[in-house]
Amino acid sequence: MSAAAMNSQTRRERRRRERLVERDAAIPVELYGLKRGTVTALTTCCVLFALFTLAPVVWVIINSTKTQSNIFGSFGFWFASPFEFFHTFANLFRDIDGDGTYANWFLNTVLYSLSGGIGATVLAVLGGYGFARFEFRGSKAFFAIIIAGLLVPITLVAVPLYLAYAKVHLINSVWGMILPSMVVPVGLYLMRTYVELSIPRELIDAARIDGASELRIFLRIALPLMVPGLMTVLLLSVAGTWNNYILPLIIFSNNQLFPVTVGMGLWSQHAGNSGDANLYPLLVLGGLVTIVPMIALFALLQRYWRGGLLLGSVAN
Amino acid sequence: MSAISMEKLSKVYSSGVSALAGLDLEVRDGEFVVLVGPSGCGKTTTLRMVAGLESITSGTVRLGDLVVNDVSPRQRDVAMVFQNYALYPHLTVAENIGFALINKKVPKPDRERRVRSAAAALGLMDLLGRKPGQLSGGQRQRVAMGRAIVREPSVFLMDEPLSNLDAKLRVRMRSEVLRVHKAIGAATLYVTHDQVEAMTMGDRVAVLHDGELQQYATPRELYDRPANLFVAEFIGSPEMNLYEATVTGDELLLGSQRLSLGPARTLLAPYRGRTVIAGIRPEHLELDGGAGAGHAGMATLVADVRVVEELGDEAHVFFSIDATAAGASMLAAAAGEAEAGLLAGATHNGIARTNSRSAVRRGQRVTFRVDTERIHFFDPDTSMAVPRMPR
Repeated sequence: MSAAAMNSQTRRERRRRERLVERDAAIPVELYGLKRGTVTALTTCCVLFALFTLAPVVWVIINSTKTQSNIFGSFGFWFASPFEFFHTFANLFRDIDGDGTYANWFLNTVLYSLSGGIGATVLAVLGGYGFARFEFRGSKAFFAIIIAGLLVPITLVAVPLYLAYAKVHLINSVWGMILPSMVVPVGLYLMRTYVELSIPRELIDAARIDGASELRIFLRIALPLMVPGLMTVLLLSVAGTWNNYILPLIIFSNNQLFPVTVGMGLWSQHAGNSGDANLYPLLVLGGLVTIVPMIALFALLQRYWRGGLLLGSVAN
Repeated sequence: MSAISMEKLSKVYSSGVSALAGLDLEVRDGEFVVLVGPSGCGKTTTLRMVAGLESITSGTVRLGDLVVNDVSPRQRDVAMVFQNYALYPHLTVAENIGFALINKKVPKPDRERRVRSAAAALGLMDLLGRKPGQLSGGQRQRVAMGRAIVREPSVFLMDEPLSNLDAKLRVRMRSEVLRVHKAIGAATLYVTHDQVEAMTMGDRVAVLHDGELQQYATPRELYDRPANLFVAEFIGSPEMNLYEATVTGDELLLGSQRLSLGPARTLLAPYRGRTVIAGIRPEHLELDGGAGAGHAGMATLVADVRVVEELGDEAHVFFSIDATAAGASMLAAAAGEAEAGLLAGATHNGIARTNSRSAVRRGQRVTFRVDTERIHFFDPDTSMAVPRMPR
């Protein structure tokens, strides 16, 4: 047997054992003071809610395989021939009507989300650490102002935002999209809380005594311990920009700069107005293609959410 | 020369709480000084101010000849062991120990040699590649020590480094810490709330209470000549029995019992006819085996036994006499209501430490022999010790 095969076998064996341990550790619900009936009722509620939430996704998956007439003419939750998925998929990445292509919009979304998300994460990590572990004059007031930003919906500031952007030439500019996407107050708030709870002051004190500069303490000691929090903020801010509709709608009038959200909004208008024969299948499949990267990102970053990073560092 | 000196060192927090009030303390080169006191007495604050981790409200801290009030911790050349170890969890043992050397830009070969020698001194050679999470409590404690000694610092600070270890390991690590101290010879300031640790480890011990220095002396001196009531009660286990007593001529009136004072009467002359507080250490109460009066300073004390605690090698006899205890009420006031209730309900007001082979039973009436020269006297108004005669 090859080493790799043996490795995978031991891994499978370990997982099996872990599952057994989990099963042994499970406590009968009666011990929590719950009745079987209550548990069944609650589980039913959860399942119903899950169905309710997942139904649109299932609908999108099924209908992405249909022609326009079948989308309207056949049962929504089952397939209908002809199977048009690949045909629609090919069309999706072709310039249809000169509005700008889906591929272009998709790349725009990727660019805005990654640069905005990474920028937001860097700012949140730096700011959160600073607010959590340094005391300076006005720190509370500054933090309060940042948190106040959480409460202002973007629709409220749409008009002033447009006027301000027009003044500084950020209308129809990539930066007009990226810069505001880097400001994620909730990310900073999350990071501050995360640092406060997961990076003991003694650890930073110890590094100071050990002669490390503040920058080195941040990079070498604090940052590695902030990874789970950091990944959460990255995911939140990337997803936030990915799904952003209002901001690009305000600042972009050039089709070539649209992200997928606004571009598909445009398609949706056209489909409704002119009854364009083939836009609805594209809209459905376009929506499906848009959510796939987000699901992949969740799956990819999941392994960073693990506990025990501080194991052995400080005694209680 | 002194390695650390503090002058009129004070700390008042922004909340208005005063943690330390005008501390004067000096640690000589190579000396092992223990700061001891109950929690909240300001000992950790003091240590953190010496380390530079806490701002100084007033006063000065000197390391060697240099005033370091405004010097950042990284430039002070002090090493510190933290109460909860504060190891870097994502670095290996070797990286934890070597972290300070990298910061100092020590060349790699030299660095590795020093990490290995520190690890060897602490028995960590086999663990260099492990992470803190894979170590036992005692091993983590050693890594924390290793991180400090590898720097060959001029000043060593330790904040209750043994308090998270179990009792047996703590005793073993005490001698290990001292061995390391002897080997590197750096002046050490060691903080603990455990008076046994203080007594067994310190060259000199500074007793702190409510942010004020009570006494700074050798362990022997603290035990033999406590400067005030607080030190008398704090040092020694079980703690000293303290009673209100009246001086009448040649005798000490303790409740209804009269103890002949012997030579001690000269120093109590100014208190004739007044109340003093008399302190008797539990180990200075001897069960009277009927062997006779002994020398002139020997007196006897009759007591009712309430509880006997057998420890195997010795026994603690909890007794009551009809004198008013001065210590318990004081302690109760300090310890808060919960304990006060408990103490008020207790039926004993004294403890004697005796040979466990003596067949003392609960409810029995016994006679203790006391050497009056070993009784400590305190002024009830000032709480200060009545000066003792040189022996």
